Parts: sequence; structure tokens; C-alpha cells
Amino acid sequence: MSSDNKDAEPLVVMRNISKRFGGVQALSQVNLDAYAGEVLAIVGDNGAGKSTLIKILTGVYQPTEGEIFVGGEKLVMNSHSDAIDQGIDAVYQTLALADHLDPAANMFLGNELTRSFLGIPTLDNKKMRTETERVLFERLGVRLRSLDVPTASLSGGQRQAVAIARAVYHEGLRVLVMDEPTAALGPQETARTLKLIKTLKEQGLVVILISHSLDDVFEVADRVHVQRRGKCAGVVKVADSSQQDVLGLIVGAEEAA
Amino acid sequence: MATTTHPGTPMKLSERIEPFLAIIGPMVMILAILLFMGVAEPARYFRLSNLNLILLDAALYMPMAMAMTFVITQRGIDLSIGSIAALSSIVMAFLIKQYGFSTPIAIAFALMLGALFGLINGLVITKFKVPDLIGTLAMDLVYRGLALVIAKGLVLARFPDLMTDIGRGQIPGFIPVPVVIGLLTMALGYWLLKKTYFGRYTVAIGSNPEAAEMTGIAVDRYKIYAYVLMGASAALAGVMLTGKLNAIQATSAPYFNLHVIAAVVVGGTSLFGGRASMLGSLAGVLLLSMMINALVTLRIEFFWQSVASGVVIVSSVALYTWLQKKDRDGAKGFVAGLTTPESLRLLRLCGLIGGGLLLLLLIGSLLSGAPVASG
Repeated sequence: MSSDNKDAEPLVVMRNISKRFGGVQALSQVNLDAYAGEVLAIVGDNGAGKSTLIKILTGVYQPTEGEIFVGGEKLVMNSHSDAIDQGIDAVYQTLALADHLDPAANMFLGNELTRSFLGIPTLDNKKMRTETERVLFERLGVRLRSLDVPTASLSGGQRQAVAIARAVYHEGLRVLVMDEPTAALGPQETARTLKLIKTLKEQGLVVILISHSLDDVFEVADRVHVQRRGKCAGVVKVADSSQQDVLGLIVGAEEAA
Repeated sequence: MATTTHPGTPMKLSERIEPFLAIIGPMVMILAILLFMGVAEPARYFRLSNLNLILLDAALYMPMAMAMTFVITQRGIDLSIGSIAALSSIVMAFLIKQYGFSTPIAIAFALMLGALFGLINGLVITKFKVPDLIGTLAMDLVYRGLALVIAKGLVLARFPDLMTDIGRGQIPGFIPVPVVIGLLTMALGYWLLKKTYFGRYTVAIGSNPEAAEMTGIAVDRYKIYAYVLMGASAALAGVMLTGKLNAIQATSAPYFNLHVIAAVVVGGTSLFGGRASMLGSLAGVLLLSMMINALVTLRIEFFWQSVASGVVIVSSVALYTWLQKKDRDGAKGFVAGLTTPESLRLLRLCGLIGGGLLLLLLIGSLLSGAPVASG
């Protein structure tokens, strides 16, 4: 169901994207395709334009030039919340969790379920808790020992799961961008997070993974989009290339040769 | 689908008691005071009339402690509440005494005025980007100054019955009216904290401001809400104080700020944000009132109250910080900690200052002549 099916239309199409910050050309004429049910990794050196590219996809930045199509429809997004409305969300490395609140409160942060009490909207903590339990288990296969603890007391992988659950709770989610999800994790937690990514992919999402770890990329991604100096240096399939090939694209070895 | 049940480590004792920490702290101290007074002055301390006095005193601080819990949980602070209380009640007193306003309208006006002052504080902090400590300290000068401008040195006294009922009325066979008001505000605070957007976002903002911003919470607006609540609560306390004393002047309520902050912090609400305990704040208010009443009962000079409040703030913040410290690896204990090179340098500094003081006292007393009367 991944990119093996060449006839399938890509769900996400970014065409000729350029972005200038004052005099700095952060991106020039970048194309990106991503298919439903695949993990597309974006790799590249610092300053290669990875973050700019995904911030354009998630509506944080607006491209200087270029167009974005999702599901064949052209999108103009002026803010991150526009992107969320279009089913595009991101999980950042910092996870954006409030450590003192419990997992349910974090999952619904900014999007709380309420019920009316004498005409005043009050938080429906019970429903948020059961929904959190359901989404964590059904979508991510994660069961927490207790939902009654501050998020600070969870492990790195569990915190990641809560942050992902927040994104996937939105029914219309089609594209999930994950920015360096394993950067701060130990080997065991990294393995669990990669497993979560595979689970999401099997559910038909486009997962766009930004990572510095080629090991992780080759473990979980289907294709790799290499950014170099603001341009796309190449897109390779994980199945028929090696880490050496990708490394070569990142540092520009072919160009030099 | 694969199921990964993350095997967590079993709950440690410290984790398990953590939610109750806020209550345990002040409860232990309250028990300590009860025990001590039970030995030292049982007859006078546990008299019903004295317990009533303690409750009356505590009631005054309950609305402010409730609101301050929100402000502090958001990593804020408000040092202007004493002046807001004074200025709002001075205006209210003038409306009643000089302009013949009916008491309920004047009281409502005072509460709205307090809310307005809170709004100004909130705008100064969020829109003009003045740090809360400096911003509210400066506004404290403004409000206090305005109160002095309006009232000069006047003491406005003798108000209608409604006012004194609010301040010191007694429900027959039950608790005083102000205690009912105080407890109602605490209950309102508990509900706000647990059940509303305002409470939820207050904790989120204090816990992780960047995350709150990223999830689309209007951080500035919810901060302003907290200061508005604070201002209105301070004004309510001002009204209650006016009723209690049946008098008000521009210099009233000078110690509100630190007293309220002490009560909230003793109750386990963290000055570093994100951890709120409304029950703890209530316990903190009771603790402080009991402590001050104990000092009075023991006939200790009034000025020691200020010393006691300060010591309580510092020791409780230090205690909570120490309890919160997750990682004590490498710290081999107190004595070992003292022998590191850096600690030795600090010890030397302590010795130097202490020794200097002693030396100066010694030289001074050797060279001293006959005492001279001042003035």
C-alpha cells in the first residue's frame, strides 16, 4: 500500500516551493510528493531547508513561490490552524506537553470537551479521560498504567504517544509531520516510537519524518527526500539504496565527484 | 495491530504522596501549632471566642488567596493587592458617606473598581511587557498614592449595618458571615480550577508557556483574567476589612501582599508555576491566621508577625523545592556537600562577614563612652 503502487496519486504534492527570508534563499524550487500509507523521511544537514519545508507544509510559513496540493485540492494556508483544518498536523521534538497536567488534559489541551452546567460550559474531565484511553489504545496500541498522574511522570515514549494521540484525535487527520521524534530518547524508547510510526502508516496516514538518524530512517521510512542547501538533492527508495548513498546525497559527494 | 503496553516502573512512595503534599505540609504545621498551644496556652487559645477570632481573620484572606493561587500558578505575582483593597474601599466609603450612594451599589462599584485595577495590572504585564514583579510593585505605588490623594489622612468610619454584617456579622448558632463569604470564594476557586477553561489553561500556562501558546491558547487573555479575578478579590477583601473595622483609611491593609503570597505558597502552590492547590491555599490561610493568633495569645510583640511571615515563606519554598528535587545522585549528604571547594569558599565568606561584625562590636565596646540619649 506504500509507494510501490506507482499508479496511485500522491496525497501531498508540493510544487516549486521557494522561500526567501530577506536576502536569504532558504528554499528554491523544491518539489515533494508523499503518498498515503507511507513514511517519507526528510534528511539533510543543518540549514538544508528541512524545517522551512515542513513549516510551509504545516502552515507556519507561507511560501514565497510555489503551490501545495493535498488530495488534488490546492491549499492556501495562512496559519498552523488552517493546516490543522486541512488535516495536516505536526508533533514537535519538544512535544508541547504541559507536564503538570494529566495525559487526558494534555491530549485535549486547547480543544477541551465540555458539557453545559447551568448554561456555563464546564470541562468534561471524565469523557476526556475515556476518550484518551480509547485513542491511545485503539490508534496507538498504548495502554498507560494510570491516567491519573502528571504527564511529567510518564516515560519518553509514553509522552510521545500522548502528543501523537493529540494529533490523531482529529478525525480528518491525513498528514502527520514528526520533527526529530527520537532525538531525546534512549534505544528502547526509540524502538517503541518507531513502532508507533509504523502503526500510523498502516492506518493510511502520510507520515513525514524529519530525522538526523539514518538508522531510524532506514528502519521505518519507505522513501527518503534529501535536502541540500535549500534544494532537493534527490529522493531515494529505502528498499533499493544504502545509508552510504543517502549520506552521499546529504554531503553532496556526487556533485564533487 | 500490535499492542505495546508500556511497562512502567511501580509507583514510588514519593510519587504516591505527591498529590497530597500540598495538604500534608500545612496540616503538619497546623497540628504543630495546636500541640504547642495546647501545652503553652490551652485555656486562652482554645476558647470559642478566640477560635472565632481566628476564623474572622482567616476569612479576610480567603478571597485573595483563592485568586492569588491562579496568579502564582501562571508564574505571575501580584504585589498591588493591599493598595487595590485600600483604594477600592476608600472610593466606596466616599460614595456612601459623601455622595449618599446606597450600600449595595457602592459595594458592587468597589468590586468592579478592583476588577478594573486588576485589568490594568494585566494589561501592563501582557501588553506593555513589564515584568509582573516590577509592574505590580509600581502599580502598588500608584493605587496607594491615589488612595492617599483621595482620603488624605481621613479615617472614614461608621457605615450602614450591611457593611458591618459583611465584615463581622454572625449567623446565630453558626459561623460568622465573612467566613461564609470566604469559604464560598474558595469553593468558587476550586470549581474554576478543576472545571473551567480558565483553570485548565492557568495550569497549562504555568506548566509550559510555549506549549500553551502552540496549542492555540490565548495566553495573554487568560493571564489578564487571573489579574482581574485578583483585583476583584482584593476589593472584596477591602470591603470585608471596612466592615470588620467599621472604618477605612488610605493606609489600611499594608501587609496583604506577603501574607497572601505566604498562605498560597505554604499551601503547596508552586512559585515556579504549574502546580496549584486550592485546598492547600485554604489550609495556608488558616495556618497563617492560627500562627499570628498564637503569637498574640503568647503576648509576643506585634512586630514579630512580619518576621514570622517572612520565615514561613522562605522555609516553605525551600522545603517544597527540596522535596521536588528528583535527582539526588551525587549529593552524598549535607556534610559532604559542605566540603566541596565551592562550599568552602562560601563558608569562608560567611566567616569573614560574621567575624567582621564581631570584631566591630568588640572594638566599638572597647572604645565606647557614656550612652547618649537620642533626640
